[in-house]
Amino acid sequence: MVHFKRGRLSIACVCMVLGFMLAVQFRSTQDIKASVPYQRVEDLSARLQQSEKDKDALQAELEDIKSRAGEEQNNKIGEDLRSAAGLTALEGPGVVVTIEDSKKSAKADEDLNLYLVHDEDLLKVVNELRAAGAEAVSINGQRMTATSELRCAGPTLSVNNVRSAPPYEIRAIGDIKTLENALKMRGGVAETLKVWGISMDIRTSENVLVPAYKGSTKLKYGKVTDRQEETP
Amino acid sequence: MILAVLGLLLGILIGTLCPWSIPLAYAKFFSVALLASLDSVFGGLRAASENNFDDVIFISGFFTNALLAALLVYIGDRLGIDLYYVALLAFGLRIFNNLAIIRRYFLKKH
Repeated sequence: MVHFKRGRLSIACVCMVLGFMLAVQFRSTQDIKASVPYQRVEDLSARLQQSEKDKDALQAELEDIKSRAGEEQNNKIGEDLRSAAGLTALEGPGVVVTIEDSKKSAKADEDLNLYLVHDEDLLKVVNELRAAGAEAVSINGQRMTATSELRCAGPTLSVNNVRSAPPYEIRAIGDIKTLENALKMRGGVAETLKVWGISMDIRTSENVLVPAYKGSTKLKYGKVTDRQEETP
Repeated sequence: MILAVLGLLLGILIGTLCPWSIPLAYAKFFSVALLASLDSVFGGLRAASENNFDDVIFISGFFTNALLAALLVYIGDRLGIDLYYVALLAFGLRIFNNLAIIRRYFLKKH
């Protein structure tokens, strides 16, 4: 080993660099070997999480669709029923009837009441409109429902327990011609009221808005039953 | 010889204590450089055994071989030619060649 005496320091330096490289490479290889499976684990766990999330989302969607398939039909029926019951505002062709108290002054010996609009007059009008196939009727913004009352409350009119004063505006949705003719027919309600000077203005419109019933729909006494016939 | 072994041990120690490691992207180049360095060292040993060891050639060969090998592999990587395996094969062959010569030298000596 005599030959190494020359430039021993240089060899030592080179060997040092070599050793350094060896150690770094060794550790890098260890790191790579260790890190690759670790990365794989992370990757797989991320994918698993994603899959689970997807699964949950799909399950939720499935439930949703399942329930909606049944609900859709129910909803359709429910919507129709709600409209018919007056719980939704409706729009369509129809008439707007405005009824006002008579401008004529009552003669001394005549009953003042004859010149005022009464619940009977309005009932007649509403009845006539319904007979003519009105689908929705409202009086001064109060939707006439199956349980709506229409009666005098002192000088005012009470519909759905809401009072209003004249003029009374009755809105009805239905066939325009039929509704109009039902009111204006000879010997009809319009003619009768005219005698007493009660003005009845019938306006037809392609776009009549009938508001929704805003009251409560809770039944206090009645209970739903399956019985179809009354048994004595 | 003792100095060389000491240097090697010192280098390993420093490398082990050093906190950083080669990023995955450069591991290829570094391994080729390492192989070239190993080849240079074995070449130096062989030269010593043949009694024509030159200090300057050894040191310059050590560094240029390592750098050039890494550079060549890098260029090959860029051009889509996998020179990595070529370098591996060439340096590997040379290392074994040198080893064989060193072995013969020791056998002849003793």
